[in-house]
Amino acid sequence: MIMITMNKIENNHSTNNDSYRHLFVIIESINNELIPASLEMLGEARRQMDHFNLKYKSNEKVIAIHLGHGIKDLSKDLISYGADAVIYADDPHLKYPINKIYTKIISQIVTDPHSLKEISPEYVSIFKKPRYMFFLADSIGRHLSSTVLAELDSGLASDINKLVISDLDIKHQHKTKGETIHYQKVLEMYRPDFSGFLWTTILCLDNKNPEIAKEFHPQACSIIPGAFQPCVQDTKRTGIISQFSPQFDEQDLKIKVVKQELVKNPVQFENYKIIVSFGRGIKEDPEANIKLVEKLAKILDAEIGISLPISKKIFHLNEKYDSIYITPNRVVGTSGRKVTPVIYIAVGISGAIQHLDGMKDSDFIIAINPDENSPIKDVCDVFIKGRMEDVIPVIIDELSKRSGQLKEKEIQVNTYGKL
Amino acid sequence: MENCDVTIVGGGSAGLAALKHLSSLGKQAILLEAGKEIGSKNVSGGILYSKKSNNGKIYNVEDIYGESFLTEYPYERKITKYILNATSKDKVFSIDLTESHNYQTNFGYSVLLNKLNSWFAQEAQNAAERLGGGIITGVHVRALKWEEKRSKIIVQTDELEEFETKVVIAADGVNSEIAEMANAREKFSPSELYQGVKVLVKLPEKIIEERFEINNSEEGAAHLFAGDVSLNLIGGGFLYTNRDSLSIGGVYHYDSLLENPIEPAEIVNSMLKNPLISELIKDEVPIKEIDKTLSKEQQVRKSFAITKLLNNWNELRQLYYSHKLKEKSIADRKYSSEDEIKSKLDNLTKRLTDEYNIKFKTNYIELEYTTKLVPDGKRGRMKKPYHKNILFIGDAAGRGLFFGPRIEGLNVGMDDAARASIAVARSLDKNNFDSDYLGEFYTRLVEESPYTVDMKEIDKQYLNVILNSTRKRIPSNVLGLKHKLLFNLVSNDGLRNFFITMINKYGYTRLLSFIESEDVYFKVPIKIADKLGTLNTASYIPQIPTIQDRVAKLCYHEDNISHIKILDSSKNFLRKMVVLCPTKCYSLEGDEVILQHEGCIECGTCSKETEWRHPRGEKGVIFKYG
Amino acid sequence: MTLNIAVLVKLEPDFSEGSVSYNPDGTLNRAETKSKLGAHSAIASLAAFYTKVKYGGYISVSSMGPPMAEIALQEAQSICDADELHLYSDRLFASADTLATAEVLQQGIRKMNNGKEMDIVFSGHRASDGETGQTGPQTAWKLGFTFLGNVIDFSVDLNKRFILAKRLVALPGFYDIVEEIQAPLPVFIAIDPLYKPIFDTISLRLTSSRYLKEAKERAANYKTYLKVLDHKKLELDPRFVGLPGSPTIVHKVEKIPKARTTRTAELIEGYDREGIKNTITKILQLVQK
Ligand SMILES: Cc1cc2nc3c(=O)[nH]c(=O)nc-3n(C[C@H](O)[C@H](O)[C@H](O)COP(=O)(O)OP(=O)(O)OC[C@H]3O[C@@H](n4cnc5c(N)ncnc54)[C@H](O)[C@@H]3O)c2cc1C
Ligand SMILES: Cc1cc2nc3c(=O)[nH]c(=O)nc-3n(C[C@H](O)[C@H](O)[C@H](O)COP(=O)(O)OP(=O)(O)OC[C@H]3O[C@@H](n4cnc5c(N)ncnc54)[C@H](O)[C@@H]3O)c2cc1C
Ligand code: SF4
Repeated sequence: MIMITMNKIENNHSTNNDSYRHLFVIIESINNELIPASLEMLGEARRQMDHFNLKYKSNEKVIAIHLGHGIKDLSKDLISYGADAVIYADDPHLKYPINKIYTKIISQIVTDPHSLKEISPEYVSIFKKPRYMFFLADSIGRHLSSTVLAELDSGLASDINKLVISDLDIKHQHKTKGETIHYQKVLEMYRPDFSGFLWTTILCLDNKNPEIAKEFHPQACSIIPGAFQPCVQDTKRTGIISQFSPQFDEQDLKIKVVKQELVKNPVQFENYKIIVSFGRGIKEDPEANIKLVEKLAKILDAEIGISLPISKKIFHLNEKYDSIYITPNRVVGTSGRKVTPVIYIAVGISGAIQHLDGMKDSDFIIAINPDENSPIKDVCDVFIKGRMEDVIPVIIDELSKRSGQLKEKEIQVNTYGKL
Repeated sequence: MENCDVTIVGGGSAGLAALKHLSSLGKQAILLEAGKEIGSKNVSGGILYSKKSNNGKIYNVEDIYGESFLTEYPYERKITKYILNATSKDKVFSIDLTESHNYQTNFGYSVLLNKLNSWFAQEAQNAAERLGGGIITGVHVRALKWEEKRSKIIVQTDELEEFETKVVIAADGVNSEIAEMANAREKFSPSELYQGVKVLVKLPEKIIEERFEINNSEEGAAHLFAGDVSLNLIGGGFLYTNRDSLSIGGVYHYDSLLENPIEPAEIVNSMLKNPLISELIKDEVPIKEIDKTLSKEQQVRKSFAITKLLNNWNELRQLYYSHKLKEKSIADRKYSSEDEIKSKLDNLTKRLTDEYNIKFKTNYIELEYTTKLVPDGKRGRMKKPYHKNILFIGDAAGRGLFFGPRIEGLNVGMDDAARASIAVARSLDKNNFDSDYLGEFYTRLVEESPYTVDMKEIDKQYLNVILNSTRKRIPSNVLGLKHKLLFNLVSNDGLRNFFITMINKYGYTRLLSFIESEDVYFKVPIKIADKLGTLNTASYIPQIPTIQDRVAKLCYHEDNISHIKILDSSKNFLRKMVVLCPTKCYSLEGDEVILQHEGCIECGTCSKETEWRHPRGEKGVIFKYG
Repeated sequence: MTLNIAVLVKLEPDFSEGSVSYNPDGTLNRAETKSKLGAHSAIASLAAFYTKVKYGGYISVSSMGPPMAEIALQEAQSICDADELHLYSDRLFASADTLATAEVLQQGIRKMNNGKEMDIVFSGHRASDGETGQTGPQTAWKLGFTFLGNVIDFSVDLNKRFILAKRLVALPGFYDIVEEIQAPLPVFIAIDPLYKPIFDTISLRLTSSRYLKEAKERAANYKTYLKVLDHKKLELDPRFVGLPGSPTIVHKVEKIPKARTTRTAELIEGYDREGIKNTITKILQLVQK
């Protein structure tokens, strides 16, 4: 059993210590399917470490840690998405991400120098802990990052969507006792605050103040799903895959998952940067107009939303459209979902307050509506005054002329979508 | 299975009175209310009366709740001025009917049901708790099953495990599902119903007193309206003063609405637009406008900052124009004097104008828009208000009392509640719940109620009082020949008494359509106003919110499952609902009527030809005032 | 047997329109903003209340914060009918990050109910003002308790001393997982915002309204239930709490550059191809960022 590390004050003042190396990325999968955001995180790790190795003329690795049961085969995918090495632990007791068990195993892996035997043999003798660690800020990773860092006794920044590695001069009342000290290889972790308007940068720094001197490693964060892009998959990439044999505490095995149910909402507004919603304004020719919206959404790679009245099946449509689009889980507004895409396009929607409630925090709002007095105009950035039947074909036409600009994006989306 | 002796369904003023009275009689009871909190589903005009009658005992609010009702002020103002206004365009002729208001009356208080029922609930809960009973909110009774052999009822709800009870008191209001489940009566027909619609308008205490010429902070006025404000419908309007708000609305025959569908909102709007009323409700209203050229972030921050200041401004202004609140805030040393409050208020006004570009405009402020059906006891009351061991009280039993300007349901429901409690207590003592022993006994008690007598017969004396007040003011020659004859007829004491005796004998209900006629409700009032009325002009045009604005202001706890099912979407009746639904939940799409239940305020107007239930526990609309 | 129940709560700024104030630079103006019991803390209190009504128990509520945080404890008591209130208040605790906060809380929990071991500790899912749900799991870890997050429902087997919890594991853009997990007591539960206590029998309802009434009465006299503990009383080493004990610091706060700033609708006529072209350019720019 791992004892809870009590806080000990270490008298180690060295700045650039080889005992703390590499970027460890905690991968998540469910039923042997990688969670897409894990790859986003891996992509960002790859970019950061490429930059790091160039800048510091160094050779530190991106190491993916993956726990589960029957997950060995996924290791190759992780390499192809940017990992230099994968350390996996495969065991029936790891089938579900039980916090206590996972915390202990991850802590074992990242503090055990022998884990690095194949990956960076030259440092095995002095390795203590990772330099950096990335977790996912989802319901699993958010808690896991907290407990792992409590175990490793270091700092954590949660819900990060921007990262920068740099050297900083820091002057801090406690950390440096008011003196300016140069810190190297600092991970600047940017967290959007509660208002969504501000970024707070969080640093995890050693205490250099002699009265409270203490080192804090790794510098760790949890990353908001969707914040970063995955790397384009490269199946030719190679890397080291090594297995770790976990040690369990009997007591912990009394914690059991007795049932697990996956629910997948077919409408995943969060996965899209653009949402096109339609409302009663389709009434002149509902089916043809839905087709138009569908076409526009396809070109823009957008998800489709609806206003509430549409969900009451007010039009007679063929069954296919009815079952795909006329469903309550597409409704945007107080009775439906609250969405905040980069771009929200409201087609034939008047903008009743209950609808606005669900979309007004989108970054950029476009409305297509012949009636200039519709309240939607008060919240949108661009109001295209016209009938959808006339306007959408023009947009589609113009968009297809610029298919080149769209292609690049499509590739990314496709690889992403395949997973 | 759990069990309890008595289950009261519905926590309106009737159900709560039953819980309180049963507890006073030492009987354990529980009350189930669908709303998340007591008072969140109830709507009234309203004036709560305490009455005395030569025809027998009345169980009044103070009999049920004791003197603390009078000392703890769960009501608004004591009505001491009661005025009937005949309207025709901008002309109004007012007749003081305070004497008729005082007829057989101990008192009449204006009330807001959320506050009032919450107070009742607290009293009833305290009493019931001591006997192991109490109020359970957020529970919707879905079905009742009979255990015939043991004459027990199994109560099934959407929220609790089923349980067993000996007696049910159904106080579930005009749209009673219990009545339907038990097959105790038909749904009320349009001729047996009124649609009541109301808006609550905010106005500071002292401004109310000044405007209604009330010289006492405890007192208030009631105004009734007849004439063109009722848009050719059979019914009338009301305006009651609360402490710092006004209740304005109307109550109209449902069958006249079906004949001549008019949006309920239009009915209150016609009241608000009447120049006399426009002037009574007007106030200084701050207009918040955000500079749209600012960045989105700045707009949000600015809007937040303004909201905060406006909240302070509203609070301070309310304080400044109040009595008790102000005294208290000075006694608590929050402010040193009235002058300090005034100067702080002026400062805020200045800041809002100078720094935030807020403009103050003459307009009025609506707090809440409500609608509800009310049963007309003259026509629709249950002749035997029971079914097996279920007793019906209040609106559920169809016992609303309407006559001339009289609109009474609250006091009647409480009187019923006391009578039902007495009958139930007696049955519990003897452990006998047979219809002969319980239901029939309760029916007898209800028949003895002076309110029931008033539903069956015209009270000559009451009519006398009204006519005396009217006759003093209206020379008979202003009316046309037809109306003059009628007027003379009813003005002659001897003739009238003979006439009414005949009516009461022949059958009051059969002659109702003659009494409740276009002539009485608007033709004559319009004529009177035209001939005798004084001209009123409004100094501004009130900006009346749209129905969408009104709905947006209401509070809902939405249920994704609709509590209403359309049975036949092509029906003529449903087409009328497109107009008559107060919150426009129905719309015509092609040939079909569709329902968007999210905005439903549970008035019951569409219930006649739909499968209509109350929403599940805690769901649906939440009225803040009622 | 009854349960020893702890609840961790937090005083938070009230971010609703009408209560919140911002400084000109866009940061929160804490002095002008009203504070109250955090919404998630209120749900944690509700879960504790449910446990008390259903299984019986002794509830201790605690908070780390300035002296005024006692109003959060009072509010929590009015929800859960707490038997004891703990406030960990000390100037040395100020500006702690989550690890240093967890250090104080775990020590406080060990001192609850005269040092009896807790069976269940409840905390909110997260706080609204920046704390992102780390404190709970870190406190749990320092206590050695099994941590269960995102709990939407639970039941306790008092004889076997087990808890059965239902968790909603949300993986944005992927699956949502509803998991049922069983664990021996003691456990630390971070309650999900979707949690709702269900009292589904008459007797539970009546009991809950009795306790609730008691809760209101107690909260009116909350000071008699309140213990204020500083680092000495908690027996904490000043080097491990507050700023000295915090690995992380806030380095800077800056505005997030936004794609577009104003919101006055630009009106484009439907036949205006140029206007539509410009809009498309904008769309492509925004998406590719
Ligand atoms: C409690 C409650 C909750 C609610 N919740 C929601 C909710 O969550 N989401 C929601 O959406 N609604 C909700 N509503 C309903 C809401 O109030 C509105 O009724 C609804 O949003 C209106 O939908 P709409 O804009 O599609 O239709 P309409 O208001 O009828 O608007 C149609 C628009 O289409 C335009 N149009 C007409 N012809 C064309 C054309 N040829 N091309 C382009 N445009 C055209 C018209 O100018 C008009 O602006 C709720 C209502 C209530 C009461
Ligand atoms: C505009 C207007 C003006 C009026 N003016 C006056 C006036 O001035 N004076 C006066 O005395 N009266 C007036 N009335 C009439 C008076 O308001 C009513 O008679 C009275 O409120 C009815 O009370 P109640 O308890 O019978 O029913 P309600 O107040 O309707 O209570 C019924 C309760 O039962 C609950 N319920 C229903 N079904 C279920 C179920 N299945 N399970 C659980 N709970 C359920 C409901 O949520 C509701 O709370 C007016 C009415 C209106 C609409
Ligand atoms: S839907 Fe029916 S019950 Fe609801 S508000 Fe409209 S008419 Fe009234």
